[in-house]
Amino acid sequence: MWLPILFLIIGLTLGVLTDIRIPDAYSDYLSIAVLAAFDTLFGGIRAQLEKNFDDTVFLTGFIFNISLAALLAFIGVQLGVDLYLAAVFAFGVRLFRNLAIIRRMIIDQKLLMKFRKK
Amino acid sequence: MKKRTKWLVSIVFLFIGFMVAVQFQTTSYESQMRETRDVWEVREELQRQQDAQQELLESISDADQTIEDYEQQSSGEQLDTLIESIEVLEERVGLNKVEGAGIEMTIAPIFEESVTGQAYPELSPHLLHRLLNELNTYGADEISIGEERITNLSPIRDVNGSTYVNNRPIGSLPITLKVLAEDPAKLRNYMKASPTQDIFNIDNMEMKIELKDSLLLPEFDGALHLEILEETGG
Repeated sequence: MWLPILFLIIGLTLGVLTDIRIPDAYSDYLSIAVLAAFDTLFGGIRAQLEKNFDDTVFLTGFIFNISLAALLAFIGVQLGVDLYLAAVFAFGVRLFRNLAIIRRMIIDQKLLMKFRKK
Repeated sequence: MKKRTKWLVSIVFLFIGFMVAVQFQTTSYESQMRETRDVWEVREELQRQQDAQQELLESISDADQTIEDYEQQSSGEQLDTLIESIEVLEERVGLNKVEGAGIEMTIAPIFEESVTGQAYPELSPHLLHRLLNELNTYGADEISIGEERITNLSPIRDVNGSTYVNNRPIGSLPITLKVLAEDPAKLRNYMKASPTQDIFNIDNMEMKIELKDSLLLPEFDGALHLEILEETGG
């Protein structure tokens, strides 16, 4: 449990210390990639709670979502349509749904524990 | 959780952290203004600001002097100071005649011997604007076009095809411009070398510049309409 958090902190420090900046033209891609990453992350947590976590699905989901989002943003730029908004919308909805499911599961687990204690 | 899964998740977390940090830096970076001036540009800016400060301090001390004069003097003298201030202001605005050294520019038509004939050249407002801007850039103090004194509020307009200055037509060529300057010789040299000459030539006009020791500029005789005054800020 602690290893991922440790790695998250390492990643954050690395990003801050390396002083890398993305040019303005590509900032849309990165922001959507970050959103896709969050989506995959919460999806993973949900799968873990539902006890059907599979690391292949998790990894491919992570890579595939990010590439698809970037591709969509790229096509949007080429066509002059803000297609990345579609990705933002889709990921946003999924994020909220996953979060809601995670919340319910945690509450259910706690209630079950209480019930068992009685 | 299996050990392999744990490492996998950790590496994904590493990526996410990295991306978030880069994204954060990119967005926070945009709000900062980049300083791209080199040392000399900064020095020049400093010099400019110091000059501006010096000028401001001088005008403050002038104003202070005037206030002091008002306070210390009797009412008769106060009136004198007031009249003096008004005169100074009128002088600056252009409500008085001015005499001094300067240059006299005559804008005359050039005639080519063309078979088709040519239209009589006219001085357009654009050209006049350009000329006045150039004169002001090169250090002209007071300018008059024909018998019209140019003030800060003098309009130069195109009215039904003819050029109007101070709401009166300037008439046809040749037109005489009288320009007072602190250093008339320098102004003449600048004007002789300026590209405006060529533009006048394109429109079949030529510019003759003469140095004069004494030029009398007429006063501005219209009413000063200053309807909109806005704070420029800064």
